[in-house]
Amino acid sequence: MQLNDKASIRRALAAATCTLLGSASQTSHAEGGDEKWRVDTSVLYYSEQDRVTVVEPVVFLRKTTGEDSFVNFRLIYDTMSGASANGATPTNTPQTFTSASGTSTYTTPAGKIPLHDFSDQRVAVAVEWDKPVDHLSRAIYGINASTENDYRSIGLSATRLREFNNKLTTLTIGISGSYDSVMPIGGAPTPMQLMSSVVPPPPGGEDDEGESGKTKLVTDAIVGITQVLTRRALTQFNYSIGYSSGYLTDPYKVVSVIDATGATIDYRFESRPDTRLRQSLYWKTAYHFDHDVMHFAYRYYWDDWGIHAHTADLHYRMELWKGAYLQPHLRYSTQTAANFYTYSLLNSSPVPAYASADYRLGELTTTTYGLKLGVPVGRTSEINLRVESITQSGNGYPADAIGIQKNYDLFPTINTTVVQITYTGHF
Amino acid sequence: MQASTVLSKRITARPFLRYLLLISLATATPVFAAEQAQAFTLPGRDQPVSLTALRGKVVYVDFWASWCIPCRKSFPWMNSLQKRYADQGLVIVAVNLDKTRELSDHFLSEVPAELTIAYDPEGKVASAYKVKGMPSSYLIDRAGRIHSSHIGFREETAADMEVAIKALLQHP
Amino acid sequence: MLARPLFILLTLLALPACTLTPVQPWDRDLLAEEKMQLIPDPVENFIDEHIYFSKEGASGGQGVGGGGCGCN
Repeated sequence: MQLNDKASIRRALAAATCTLLGSASQTSHAEGGDEKWRVDTSVLYYSEQDRVTVVEPVVFLRKTTGEDSFVNFRLIYDTMSGASANGATPTNTPQTFTSASGTSTYTTPAGKIPLHDFSDQRVAVAVEWDKPVDHLSRAIYGINASTENDYRSIGLSATRLREFNNKLTTLTIGISGSYDSVMPIGGAPTPMQLMSSVVPPPPGGEDDEGESGKTKLVTDAIVGITQVLTRRALTQFNYSIGYSSGYLTDPYKVVSVIDATGATIDYRFESRPDTRLRQSLYWKTAYHFDHDVMHFAYRYYWDDWGIHAHTADLHYRMELWKGAYLQPHLRYSTQTAANFYTYSLLNSSPVPAYASADYRLGELTTTTYGLKLGVPVGRTSEINLRVESITQSGNGYPADAIGIQKNYDLFPTINTTVVQITYTGHF
Repeated sequence: MQASTVLSKRITARPFLRYLLLISLATATPVFAAEQAQAFTLPGRDQPVSLTALRGKVVYVDFWASWCIPCRKSFPWMNSLQKRYADQGLVIVAVNLDKTRELSDHFLSEVPAELTIAYDPEGKVASAYKVKGMPSSYLIDRAGRIHSSHIGFREETAADMEVAIKALLQHP
Repeated sequence: MLARPLFILLTLLALPACTLTPVQPWDRDLLAEEKMQLIPDPVENFIDEHIYFSKEGASGGQGVGGGGCGCN
């Protein structure tokens, strides 16, 4: 999961309107500036139609510890429940699935997209130290950790910023690494293993907690330039590269095995490569009109799994009465499928080394419409509410669908609603 | 004897360097090599503010704006300086660079200033003084020469500035 | 395949050196406003990054800072 050191970086990048050291202090707040604390408390409600629901309270704290030094603290708790697609395609008969260890099964009625129920809680914490190094540089160091039923992560990050050109240009370099371990509930399957070959354990045997020992290492680096263009415009270009290695497969997902009539006869547990090289180019501009502010961002992403994605994101903040605002949001993202992505596997074809039917690795378009309303509270605080509608779609009727498959939507559209309420206060 | 001389030299090196710095601040080795400060006349709160009219005083010109946080922090210090050294001939001129009077008025209603305020909304005087950051201050001696300049405001360096001001005030 | 994005990046890197009249320190009033930060709302940005990381194949671009979840 991508957390954001850029959240603190951007303060420094506000282009040091002030002092030799004062870049970050400038952005503490337009009013006051004597406040030592900034608190953001928020609750997110996320709901995929007929699928997963997440409720997530979040607390961000920032303490000013010195003239230009800060400590950021982040605590997130989320509860997830519902069902997510397991990668199998709908077919004309009911379907039964089993976990990799054979200890649990679940079923899907005929004609329905197979979903796997789950319920999980996650806690994540992060701390960051943000301070000046000399009169033109800053350093930000971070540590983060998270835990959930079947997953644990710990990571470190370091970022350095340096200003040039009378503080109109800032160069940023950052690196991070995290070590994640997965303990799949129901065990980690053998890659591409046929579900029909799973043997349930003898009665009184192992519990459902599954084995541990599946780990991955994720490293990332970024280099970026932020430039003040005019009194009204600020822009940023970043190049990022990341490398993940280890267990990158989703242990709960399967790929349907079909016969020549298109009927599902078995399933194989999915398998993804054990390395992934990711790169992106990111560009963002903030522009200040007379009162309103617009942010526009574009990202081009590509990786060695064959995924290429274009993402464009627009926020337009319309100032209403003093301090209150309305901000529409538009986001459009489109990606190509991973080269091992497939809707299903034909039983007569050779078994590939890697295959996944996870829609998130498929040819996918995501469209978001959102609206946010912010209202000031007193002199130094704000409450805001935002609502977003996210639609994800792909080709449900591919040309190479076989027989019975043609009767079903193999890539159902997923609609998600997001509601988030946040209180931001400065003390 | 030799060892302790060396040791005592090392121990006293820092205050000695500070003393040297003080001497050089007080004498004529300023950043601008005794450059004459650019004359200006700007609107003030009640009447125009003219630099040439202040010849004979030690003038501390500070360029500030309402949106600049370190500027907010520098005002109590400047107020205190002005109060304590006014009778010795110190005049602090705080040149405001806000685009509208409303913004600076709002600031001054929250952070009162017992200083001379001058308004330079188009930044003409700031340009003439080649202001490089906010805030920027220029210490001008009684003969109208720029003695030193400083970008930014920090509590630590403020003390050094006060030492330099006191030294200039000694000169007739 | 790499040449094109790299070319674009290099052109963009040349940007600071070029043409536009440098913005004077006293003209940075608008840029100082909180809503002009590149990430004006860190909580919203964090949540959105997490949402799209778990729903799409592409991720990142804005910064580093690890944190895994079992969501992708």
